[in-house]
Amino acid sequence: MIESEKLADAPVERTASDGDGRVVLSARDVVVRYGGVVAVDGVSFDVKAGEAVGLIGPNGAGKSTMLASLGGQAKAAGGSILLDGRDVTKLSAYRRARLGLLRTFQSTSEFGDMTTFENLVTAGNGFKGASLTSVVFHRKENSRSDREIAGRAWEMLERFDMTHVANAYAKELSGGQRRLVEIMRCLMTSPKLLLLDEPMVGVAPHLVEKLVGDLCAIRDEGISIIIVEHALEVVRALSNRVVVMSFGKKIADAPYDEIVNNREVQDAYLG
Amino acid sequence: MFDTLISAVAFGVVLASVVAIGSMGFTIQFGLTNMLNLSYGGVMTAAAFVAYILVSHHVSAWLGLVVGGLFGAVMTLAMGVYVFRPYARRGAKLFELMMVTLGLGLVIDYGLQALSRNNIYQFTVLQSAPIHLGPVVITPTQVILAAIGLAVFIGLELLLRLSRVGKALRATAAEPSLARSCGIRTGRVVTVTWLLSGFLCGLAGVVYAIDSQSIGYSSGQTFLPLVIAAALLGGAGSPSGAVLAALAMGIVTQLVSALGQPAYSQVAGFAVLVIVLLARPGAVGGGHNAEAQVTV
Amino acid sequence: MGAWEFYITTLLVYFAIDVLSAYSLNLQFGFGGIINLSYIIFQAIGAYVAASVSLGPDTGANAFQTYLFGASLPFPLPLILATLAGAVLALVIGSFGLRRMRKDYQAAVLLIVSLIAWQVVSSDTHLFNGSNGVTGVGRPLGTTLPLSSLGYQWIYVVWTLVICAVVYLLVRWLSVSPWGRALRAMRDQEDAAISLGINVTALRLQVFVIGGAIAGLSGGLLVEYIGAWSPGAWGYAETFVILTAMFVGGNRNYKGVVLGTLLVPILFLELPRFLPPFGYPGLIDSLEWVVIGLMWMASLLIRPQGIIPEKRNLVYAGNFDGVLRGRSMSKLSLRRTQKAEAK
Ligand SMILES: Nc1ncnc2c1ncn2[C@@H]1O[C@H](COP(=O)(O)OP(=O)(O)OP(=O)(O)O)[C@@H](O)[C@H]1O
Ligand SMILES: [Mg+2]
Repeated sequence: MIESEKLADAPVERTASDGDGRVVLSARDVVVRYGGVVAVDGVSFDVKAGEAVGLIGPNGAGKSTMLASLGGQAKAAGGSILLDGRDVTKLSAYRRARLGLLRTFQSTSEFGDMTTFENLVTAGNGFKGASLTSVVFHRKENSRSDREIAGRAWEMLERFDMTHVANAYAKELSGGQRRLVEIMRCLMTSPKLLLLDEPMVGVAPHLVEKLVGDLCAIRDEGISIIIVEHALEVVRALSNRVVVMSFGKKIADAPYDEIVNNREVQDAYLG
Repeated sequence: MFDTLISAVAFGVVLASVVAIGSMGFTIQFGLTNMLNLSYGGVMTAAAFVAYILVSHHVSAWLGLVVGGLFGAVMTLAMGVYVFRPYARRGAKLFELMMVTLGLGLVIDYGLQALSRNNIYQFTVLQSAPIHLGPVVITPTQVILAAIGLAVFIGLELLLRLSRVGKALRATAAEPSLARSCGIRTGRVVTVTWLLSGFLCGLAGVVYAIDSQSIGYSSGQTFLPLVIAAALLGGAGSPSGAVLAALAMGIVTQLVSALGQPAYSQVAGFAVLVIVLLARPGAVGGGHNAEAQVTV
Repeated sequence: MGAWEFYITTLLVYFAIDVLSAYSLNLQFGFGGIINLSYIIFQAIGAYVAASVSLGPDTGANAFQTYLFGASLPFPLPLILATLAGAVLALVIGSFGLRRMRKDYQAAVLLIVSLIAWQVVSSDTHLFNGSNGVTGVGRPLGTTLPLSSLGYQWIYVVWTLVICAVVYLLVRWLSVSPWGRALRAMRDQEDAAISLGINVTALRLQVFVIGGAIAGLSGGLLVEYIGAWSPGAWGYAETFVILTAMFVGGNRNYKGVVLGTLLVPILFLELPRFLPPFGYPGLIDSLEWVVIGLMWMASLLIRPQGIIPEKRNLVYAGNFDGVLRGRSMSKLSLRRTQKAEAK
């Protein structure tokens, strides 16, 4: 089960200490309940600047719920979440996004009836340009920054080799392209931290490697990543630190190679 | 003053038994399909008209009641199979299906308006002296209607708890995909649900018309918010919850009409539904991954 | 000839007012994804407010009717107040009715709000004269303009069409702005929009209030034209006519909703006038509603986007106007850029 395949031989090019060691996000004893179910039960971990952390665990372990509590989609019933040292536990999801905490979802969430390009521009406009008051009262400045944003969106498409689908409706794209749109959309907002929930689901196998390479590049730009992923070779290629969850609890937080040989982790996966 | 309150409560109980029949039908339908069926009121009216025609041709009111119920059952099944299912097959979600039921409700209501020449007909089945119970003056018809409500409730509870169909229905409502993989034929369960809820819907329509002694094309539609409110308040799929909620709502609306303006009793009913819809815990969310499922 | 001209001008005024309604609903639903089943009450409050601030006090000649805030304000003020009234009502209803919840529940809430408002206004004569409604509203500048009554008709047509054009420019400008894009993002994927930092609560309320203001304005224009307003004019089902028009013509597209308005409330609802009368009086009205319901259902089944679908905002290297300003390039320059791109 815990066997890296295709990417096992890929050179391991990153280390956790790449960043300056500053903690970007820290979760402390986070608890999330759905009615009677305790989906996340006192989980704590830190993420440093420029660090990628894998979050793994069997189905129903609470990984998505953990991301939701970090992103603000699920309310934490206990514990706290600090972003850049600031307590964001009580902040709503959109405010956390404005502070640079961006996420993708387990099922793709592109804006289907907008073109790929519009998806990016929408994200780039962010909250400042998109507010009604700024649209109504500062038209001139806006149109200049609109142009800048559009330019950036186009560069983003070029960087990820997606210019040929710029005008396609996002719902018409392939699974992998939609994942990429989501990630590009996050990048348009210049995030500090990306939370990715199973970004490889629905991506054609031969494109996984490319997408992993893209994510590595993003990480190397200093953007921290928390990635939930069942494909462990992806986790391995991206991060050498892995947090393992099972039944809502954190059962391990260690480098990849140690996790593989950890009895408790093996038991959790084998059930 | 005290007397007014007592008799308002008594009338509330009568109204509640009428609402309860409709809510029980609505709640099992809603519990299974998860679809907010706004054409339910139209079916109620249609069934009531069928009963009215029978009764005005000197058929017994009891027979009218049963035939009205059967008509509601058939009509609901037909709607489920020939209208809602095709839409669901084309990928209509809860919201689109609600819109469809809204359009269908319009078709039924105004179809009935055309057929009934937009008149309100008097529908009196039993002329007899009212009974005096202390301060409460109540007609024998109202007593019978309350008894019918109780009987329907007991019958439905027994059916759901004891029969295989009832168990399959509850299992499917709780977890459609699980029920399917456990070998429950969900298609058949859905059919039974349409029939059963349609029967209760028709019955409710007839009972409501008898209780209000009149029938017009919009009878069911004006009554529908009370029915839906009781069903949602009681919890989807729970007949006993629906009955309790109907009692609460019947009494509240009658108190409002006794103490304030009669016109506001209906407003009170509507307002309760708005509050229920806004406050229902399950209602919030429905977000990205939690897109609720439809079974039709 | 005069009668015909009168009829045509009347239709044109109704058309313009229905187009305003369709713009409002299109902004709310086509772009914002909010189905406003209580639309008609925003039009109604606009009409009532415009009527009562131009009728004068409800004493003397108006003693036969009762209404709130009687005043006789000069020409544009009643319309402005009608617009504000629509906006304020939208703010009030939106503040509780737009909470995040199942979309079908939200639609039901708005529908019932419409029923409640109707019930309250028709049974409480202190508000706007109950079910009889208010009547005797004079036409704006009707006595100052030196015009024949037909001449006035045409002036009113032009006036409403001008307002339509202005509102069109406004809603179009809004919907191609970053704000409009955020709106469409919310419509397509609310969770994703939130997680990009968009405050959807504010956004929903804003689009609801803008739509409410347009609705109030349309009500004001309507009552100043027909001179009277009563609950008979704003049953909850009236909303469905405009919504059907929007579904048929193409929600999400301003040309589409104009086409739909032409087809449904104007052509379809007016044509029966020219049929030889059949059945008892009122039968045709009932059947019209039946057909509206059928059209509503059919458009949900056959063409959910309507006849004219949403415009696709295109971009080619170096030319972002299509996306940023909703401006499409000429065919020629499009081909040129495509060619350049191919190289
Ligand atoms: N909206 C919800 N309401 C109720 N319970 C939920 C909800 N979402 C998740 N759960 C429950 O919480 C627990 C954790 O779910 P979660 O989706 O976080 O797991 P996961 O680790 O992401 O699983 P997977 O690998 O399948 O995505 C599960 O038991 C699940 O049933
Ligand atoms: Mg998950």
